[in-house]
Amino acid sequence: MSTSFDQMIVSEEWDSTDLSLLETLDHVLNRGLVIAGEITISVADIDLVFVGLNVLVSSVETAHEVLRKRQTE
Amino acid sequence: MNLYAYCLVEDVDALDAAPLGISGAAVRLLRVGEFAVLVSNFDSDTVAVTRENALNHAAVVRSVLDRTTPLPFRFGTVITEKQLSSYISARKPALELRFALIRGCVELSVKIIRELSTEKSAPGEITSGTTFLEEKRREIRGSEQSATEANDIATWLHEQVETLTRDEQVTVRPSEKLVLAAAHLMARDKISQYKEIMAAAREKRPELHFLFSGPWPPYSFANIELEFKSQFGVS
Repeated sequence: MSTSFDQMIVSEEWDSTDLSLLETLDHVLNRGLVIAGEITISVADIDLVFVGLNVLVSSVETAHEVLRKRQTE
Repeated sequence: MNLYAYCLVEDVDALDAAPLGISGAAVRLLRVGEFAVLVSNFDSDTVAVTRENALNHAAVVRSVLDRTTPLPFRFGTVITEKQLSSYISARKPALELRFALIRGCVELSVKIIRELSTEKSAPGEITSGTTFLEEKRREIRGSEQSATEANDIATWLHEQVETLTRDEQVTVRPSEKLVLAAAHLMARDKISQYKEIMAAAREKRPELHFLFSGPWPPYSFANIELEFKSQFGVS
């Protein structure tokens, strides 16, 4: 099995870089095999507040805002 | 010493070159029975939710996608080697079933957005009990219509891809703009066909906005708790 995969992020409206990040976060943080009781994340010093990653669209504007703030800090 | 676990693999004997893991730690392959786990040493008990850590996790899991189909752990899986061995040996049948499902596959993701019609009266228009009840009726009709439309979209999307997919996870949210989020599990050789079908689907439904992404390791198809519960009667 040696297929090479290019990541495809397609949307007609939004910046694909931000969407790529949000989609990655959506997969990594919300999905995957869970060993009960072994998820030990800390949100005390949050880099990005992944507000409603399941609600990606409504998060897009929020994410843009967070990214803008991060860039100006 | 704690380990940070990235993903489980079934047919990888050695890592060629894996990216650095959480906190810049080297990633190695830990053999556990017939499986192996991509892990790195981890000193702390908790994992900070930072963009860098999340992207590192994704990159490590993705690094083996060309060679195999990994079963990704969720971000933040910190565990001792003993606990990991115990977890895997206790769930071996369920893990084997899950690998049988995902073997040779990848995940494609599609999210569908629609404009919600709002028929609400402007604030201040409600001047009597009758007007209030009419407004409530309109809201209920709107909710019912939204639910019907959302389910129709889900059915339509399923029909577009059912011949290509091995499994799917679909979330429908009738009351939200992001009306549907679907993850499709499919054999790798179906990807180009899937892209063509989705491009055509977008043409067919110009009133909807689509967001496609992938191929991903099968994050949405990794959880085994349902199989584990049914096998062992855990409720």
